[in-house]
Amino acid sequence: MIFSLSAAHNNAVRSRPTSLADPLSALANGGMVTTLRIALSAASRGFVRIAGALLTCGSIAKLKFGKWGIRLGEKIKVVILGANGTMGAGAACIFAGAGFEVIMLARDRDKALAGLKAAQNAARAEAVAESIKLGSYQSNLESSVRDAGFIFESLAEDLALKRHFFELVDRFRGPNAIVATGSSGLSIAEMSKGRSEAFRRHFLGVHLFNPPHVIVGTEVIPGADTDPAIVKSVVAMLTKRLGRKVIITKDRPAFVGNRVGFKVLNEVALLAAEHGVAFMDYLIGPQTGRAMAPLATIDLVGWDVHKAIVDNVHQNCEDEAHASFELPAYIEKGISAGRLGDKTPERGGFYRKSGKDTLVLDPKTGLHAPLERPAPLDFVEKMKSLNRVGRYREAMTVFREARGADADLCRHVVLGYVSYGLNRVGEVAASAADVDSIMSYGFNWAPPTAIVDLIGARETISLLERLNLAVPPVLEQAARQSAKMFTGGVLDYGRAFVG
Amino acid sequence: MAKPAPVYILGGAQTDFARNWSKEGKHFVAMMREAVLGGLDATKIDPKEVQTAHVGNFAAELYAKQGHIGAFFVEIDPAFSGLPTSRHEAACASGSIAIIAASAEIEAGRYDLACVTGVEQMKTVDSTTGGDYLGTAAWYEREAKGIEFPFPKLFGRLGDEYDKRYGLKDEHLAHISAVNYSNAKRNPNAQTRNWFMSESHAQHESKFNTVIGGRIKISDCSQVTDGSVAIFLASEKFAAEWAKRNGIQLSDIPRILGWGHHTAPLEFDAKVAESKDNAYVLPHTRQAILDAFRRAGIAGVEQLSGIETHDCFTTSEYMAIDHFGLTKPGESWKAVEGGVIEIGGKCPINPSGGLIGAGHPVGATGVRQMLDCHRQITHQAGDYQVEGAKTFAMLNIGGSGTTSCVFVIGK
Repeated sequence: MIFSLSAAHNNAVRSRPTSLADPLSALANGGMVTTLRIALSAASRGFVRIAGALLTCGSIAKLKFGKWGIRLGEKIKVVILGANGTMGAGAACIFAGAGFEVIMLARDRDKALAGLKAAQNAARAEAVAESIKLGSYQSNLESSVRDAGFIFESLAEDLALKRHFFELVDRFRGPNAIVATGSSGLSIAEMSKGRSEAFRRHFLGVHLFNPPHVIVGTEVIPGADTDPAIVKSVVAMLTKRLGRKVIITKDRPAFVGNRVGFKVLNEVALLAAEHGVAFMDYLIGPQTGRAMAPLATIDLVGWDVHKAIVDNVHQNCEDEAHASFELPAYIEKGISAGRLGDKTPERGGFYRKSGKDTLVLDPKTGLHAPLERPAPLDFVEKMKSLNRVGRYREAMTVFREARGADADLCRHVVLGYVSYGLNRVGEVAASAADVDSIMSYGFNWAPPTAIVDLIGARETISLLERLNLAVPPVLEQAARQSAKMFTGGVLDYGRAFVG
Repeated sequence: MAKPAPVYILGGAQTDFARNWSKEGKHFVAMMREAVLGGLDATKIDPKEVQTAHVGNFAAELYAKQGHIGAFFVEIDPAFSGLPTSRHEAACASGSIAIIAASAEIEAGRYDLACVTGVEQMKTVDSTTGGDYLGTAAWYEREAKGIEFPFPKLFGRLGDEYDKRYGLKDEHLAHISAVNYSNAKRNPNAQTRNWFMSESHAQHESKFNTVIGGRIKISDCSQVTDGSVAIFLASEKFAAEWAKRNGIQLSDIPRILGWGHHTAPLEFDAKVAESKDNAYVLPHTRQAILDAFRRAGIAGVEQLSGIETHDCFTTSEYMAIDHFGLTKPGESWKAVEGGVIEIGGKCPINPSGGLIGAGHPVGATGVRQMLDCHRQITHQAGDYQVEGAKTFAMLNIGGSGTTSCVFVIGK
């Protein structure tokens, strides 16, 4: 059942807590630990107390606590701006699935409806619509923002556009409403510039990864003025109610995940100009600790998105890998010709489907040709067969000891990832464990410290020195103390090493 | 008979049941390896201390074209070379049969430390082929051959039998499904922890919730799951030494307090014919429960803090509710409506999410259930902990109620 906003208002049902003094505890406590039983007798007394938040009696009918009361908690209203986009619809799916009341807003209602369909497909359940209402900015932004406990902005990555909407939100939001941007790397400070103090105290970044109903890695980015209590409650809500794996990052371009991940992806794209697409995806393939080969990943993400992320870092960061963020000219050219990866199947990206055949791009000519599998390399095949039987340490020994230019190139990229990732500790990430978490749960890549542990900290340092790669201080420290770096075990990192 | 020697459960580990090991390009031995190495790590047991290994697996011959599964235990660590190993098969109860064999060895004083590993890799084939393979847990030629998804149909008939004898409303089955999904959201290893489910979705047939057979919809079914679980069972001698080095009391370690094991006729029709004058639809399952209670020295279900049961389908959990004695026969719906089975209820069932929520890697399920009982008794179940849990029971079923294995676990 899909309600329009106006119909919902006619219901004259308010699912707002009687006291909004502490929406934070309600956000965090309301639902995930969820089997909340609402005794009808309690309801008939006029109120029920749910996990610290009082609900009015009138909300009971609205809440649809199944016949015998199950799994629904506090119904904070979540408003999603840009609900027709991939991330907006995905966010609607996970918030509604966690028991929140969601309002999906888009330019018009039809667009919001398209977002709802996408959310239903992601949830694989039409019933997800039961906690979702639809509306347009024109008709419903003001009224829904006034009522909202949490406003999630998922508009296009366009600073001016976002700022325009934040100005409106600032005007209409209630005094305790939390505002989050889903931006994958724009500056939190820039986005909140000019907003009221109350807005800035309640504003932060919540960066979900695509698709959010599958990928649980999440970055939370406080701004300079964000109230620490707000950060804490949002992290608790994301962790407990939405099942997210959360890290807190500093407000730096592309945050942690995309900064580290797209450094590797763009470096492989740069190398593909010389070594070829199929070869690079084979050399730095899933056997090196990732669910998907790098260039296939750029096709999935979209070339335009890739460009936006690497350009942002290239323009705004000076670091040891600055050159790795320079967008290859052939990608720039491809984008102007409308080649955006998987979302433009007729133009393709690094790969293009032609009937049953896969074609592969020649970066030199910009043309696709039938895919020829690269000649197998002994060390790559050995790594694959060791990963296949769960012998990850032995696979990394092969990686470490292999000889020749191809092996050097492979080590340069993979250990470059370890070096660059762990070198972000202190600059943008709080700890190596945070870098591990976001690379593991946001990218499905092997955590950098798990790679270090499999190779050995001292051995990793000597390899980095040989490859002229920076030795991160956290790695030096681990080597000095002969300490294991990865905080989990094989059950936590095994998935990343593909056979 | 003299009271058998005690069997202690030292702990273990499981793989994340959401993983797809075929997508990871892996052989099932990788799965066993991660579970066993993870279990050794969790229990601080040296591989050299393991004296015997029992592997529960249903159908690697079909899913992975590989027999001799017990021997794969030796592939896990060089220290295991030469160990006595074996593989046990009783369809979905394979894991429990491996536990019974290992515990019998410990009771007999043959060995002091056994590793029990359950493993099943099921995502090697499409769902229709997998459904056909699962049909071999029934009498294939008579009940499964040429039938698409035979097992949902057989367990649909279990619901029909309840309906005939006592009446059954599908909304109660939908509630069972929703409770399992809700619990699974608390379990970091549950296959469906990030899936959407609501009671309303479970109640209604829809594009995404189609009927699979009879009254069974997708939301009534457990999942096709890849997974492996390892636990370590020990004699008093080893457990005492292990307790000492870990700074805990022997009395802090959970034990298998009692067990029950019965096998009914294979064919579902034969089961129903046999039980037609019995208040219990599956009397051999009921007897396995009573045997376990008697051996554990407990009077009944009221002494349990909770149950991990075999909800391969919502109907099998519905059956378990009255067979455990939570209600009179045929009145399971009362426990469903009364909230008895939910976390926080009088006797939570499947706080882990069960087979429906946590996943059902067939040969590993019994071992997973025992690991979850251990987590509950030692208060290590995190967000799905049943408060103050002291004694748990598990029921693991093979076939259409054919092999029933029950354990009572406590201190």
